[in-house]
Amino acid sequence: MRRGVRDVIIAAVAATAGAYLATTALPIQGQAPAAYRAPRLSDGHPDLNGIWQALNEANFDLEAHMARSAMQLRPGPYGPVPAAPVLALGAVGSVPPGLGVVEGGEIPYLPDAAKKKKDNQEHWLERDPEIKCYLPGVPRATYMPQPFQLLQSTKAIFFAYQYAGATRDVLLKDPGPAPIDSWMGQSVGRWEGETLVVDVTGFNDSSWFDRAGNFHSDALHVVERYTRTAPDVLMYEATLEDKNVFSRPWKISMPLHRRVEKNAQLMDFKCVEFVEEMMYGQWRKKPLPRE
Amino acid sequence: MRKLIVLAAGLMLAAVPVVAHHAFGGEFDPNKPVLLKGKMVKLEWVNPHAWLHVEIVKADGPQACQFTAGQKCEEWMVEGGTPNTLLRRGITKESLQAGTELVIDGYQARDHSLLRANGRNITYPDGRKLFLGSSGTGAPTDGADPTEPPKGRGRGGL
Amino acid sequence: MTRRLLAGAGIAVLGVFAATAGMSGQMKNTALPRTPDGHPDLTGTYDLAMLTPLERPAGMPAVMSDEEAAKLEKRAADQNRALNKDIDGNRAAPPKGGDGSVGPAGNVGGYNNFWLDRGSEYNTVDGQRRTSIVMDPADGRVPALTADARQRQASRLAQFRPTSDQTESSDPGLEPAGAYDDPERRPLGERCLLGFGSTSGPPILPNYFYNNLHQIVQTPTSVMILTEMVHDARVVRMNAKHLPSSIRFWLGDSIGYWEGDTLVVDTTNFTDKTRFRGATQDMHVVERFTRVDAKTLKYRFTIDDPKTWTTAWTGEYTWPATTERVFEYACHEGNYAMGNILRGARLREKDSTEKQ
Repeated sequence: MRRGVRDVIIAAVAATAGAYLATTALPIQGQAPAAYRAPRLSDGHPDLNGIWQALNEANFDLEAHMARSAMQLRPGPYGPVPAAPVLALGAVGSVPPGLGVVEGGEIPYLPDAAKKKKDNQEHWLERDPEIKCYLPGVPRATYMPQPFQLLQSTKAIFFAYQYAGATRDVLLKDPGPAPIDSWMGQSVGRWEGETLVVDVTGFNDSSWFDRAGNFHSDALHVVERYTRTAPDVLMYEATLEDKNVFSRPWKISMPLHRRVEKNAQLMDFKCVEFVEEMMYGQWRKKPLPRE
Repeated sequence: MRKLIVLAAGLMLAAVPVVAHHAFGGEFDPNKPVLLKGKMVKLEWVNPHAWLHVEIVKADGPQACQFTAGQKCEEWMVEGGTPNTLLRRGITKESLQAGTELVIDGYQARDHSLLRANGRNITYPDGRKLFLGSSGTGAPTDGADPTEPPKGRGRGGL
Repeated sequence: MTRRLLAGAGIAVLGVFAATAGMSGQMKNTALPRTPDGHPDLTGTYDLAMLTPLERPAGMPAVMSDEEAAKLEKRAADQNRALNKDIDGNRAAPPKGGDGSVGPAGNVGGYNNFWLDRGSEYNTVDGQRRTSIVMDPADGRVPALTADARQRQASRLAQFRPTSDQTESSDPGLEPAGAYDDPERRPLGERCLLGFGSTSGPPILPNYFYNNLHQIVQTPTSVMILTEMVHDARVVRMNAKHLPSSIRFWLGDSIGYWEGDTLVVDTTNFTDKTRFRGATQDMHVVERFTRVDAKTLKYRFTIDDPKTWTTAWTGEYTWPATTERVFEYACHEGNYAMGNILRGARLREKDSTEKQ
């Protein structure tokens, strides 16, 4: 082979090799790995069907936090101790640590709202709607420590949550403002490429975001984004804004994991029955002791 | 003709469910009738039954009225039905303004410590039922007009 | 080359034959909306409000003429209009001692008719105006209870004390003594556990009051049926096996499969808290959903509980699609009534003890 041609060939091979390296999923600095491409439904949208569950401590506290002895504390001689009503639970009633799911770390409360959050924490037992098995609202329903099922066809998208049997229909056509406020809000969905975007409005002011007193008003507006990033991972992001409570919009994100057990299915968690003694027991004809 | 009427009555009665779906008789006291004339403070759009809060002017009332200047009021809660029926008639939270005058007859809760009553009849001062016009004047479909298709039922597409 | 072509054609023909044979002899209705996997699409929202009752009143034929149905529908519409009429804005309070209203109105007059949505038409199945949902037994009535079931019913009633209290027996709006002793004695609908009138079922029935909306979302592996009251989402697992008998659900465990163009849903594993006309937890319900046309489903169910009814029984009615929406039915979250009822009963008992 003549020398010139060999040079060209070497250059061509080098170029090809370089191009090859550039397009593979090798972790070259500054280069993102090739995105996962989920299987499609017949309408070309990614198939998000499945039973999913969060695997984090968001429901205890959205923000980064260390473990603590209980969800409601009171002053003790050497620092806070569990409040009397939760004492018997011992370590079962304690709060595990979490690195937090809030982008930027802190929820940006307005000054008065920050005081209310602190007050909520101090009155957690009386005020957390989860204790009464009230509907969890959005985004809390997503990261309750129980699975939910996402059902998707070309005609409809629907969320069925195991916790309290909460449900959410995702409207694919915007019907305009919600006629009244509700616990789970009004969800309107659209696609942005690989991502299902769900715009939620029409909330009442009654749900909390977690067991740490984080709350909102009826001006809450949530925009969720669901993207499959791996066969068994659904990436979840939610942007929250509420002019009455927060100084600016803020964002949470977390992976949701598919329940891959062969027999995975939702079961009953109809906790309304479980709270009857707590809420109504004192009015029985023959009440049981309350202490 | 007589037979048809008898059979028709039988068919109507048969449509009532066997089990009473709500113990209004257990909740309210037939020996404590009330007539409330006042102004709406707010409507709680909750299930299973919506609750209307009304303030009634009362000389020795515990709080200042919100909608009648310079007077004292007491606030009553009145139990209605499911809001979902109303939503499907196009009613929204904007449909009823706070301060609207209402006339309510019913019976007080058996728990007499509470100012609560059933909304046996909730009307405007002129006697029109709440959220309804007079029959034939813009009332939601109540079957009165045979040429008007039942709203959304059996006529809707997918 | 030719041999290969012919073989290919033969395979194609065999394929078509196999496909049509799998339709269980039914002609495939190509006009129905179908999902990509070839099944009719049941997705949609349906309003089950109707005038046709569960059981046929004595003396009625199974099918009415259109004229008879129209007469009865007009009667219902007239009744509705009368109930919505204006009344006297200067009226007095209702009578002391109660207004004599019966049933759920509880002698206190309940609430206005405008809160209700009872339905305005008699149901049509296969072109017939039906006088009942029950079609088998042929008299349109639920079969007789077994001796066992009657015994269970008697012992359930026995937990309510015979009325000896003077105040209670003179108040027609009150249920028998003992009915208000505990929240667990109240109906499931009042406790906000399940909607009344078997609105979730299975079997799913009209409740003849309001909020009869249901929504179906269909995917190849799961068919979800949402009942508006009390936001119950029943997920039918397609081509699956029932759970072991130790696992039981309020709505039972539903598995589904296609028989031609009909979705068959088989439900067992109910809890012992089931309150369907005295049935036990071993009730077995088979439902059949068929799409009739773009706006109608046909719903047929067979119930079998040998410990409760002397024979299995079957009902059917059609589900008309609606353009209306299912709204949130947050029941427990607004259930002031439960507290009112229990406290009212305790106060009444206190009052009557103090009187003595």
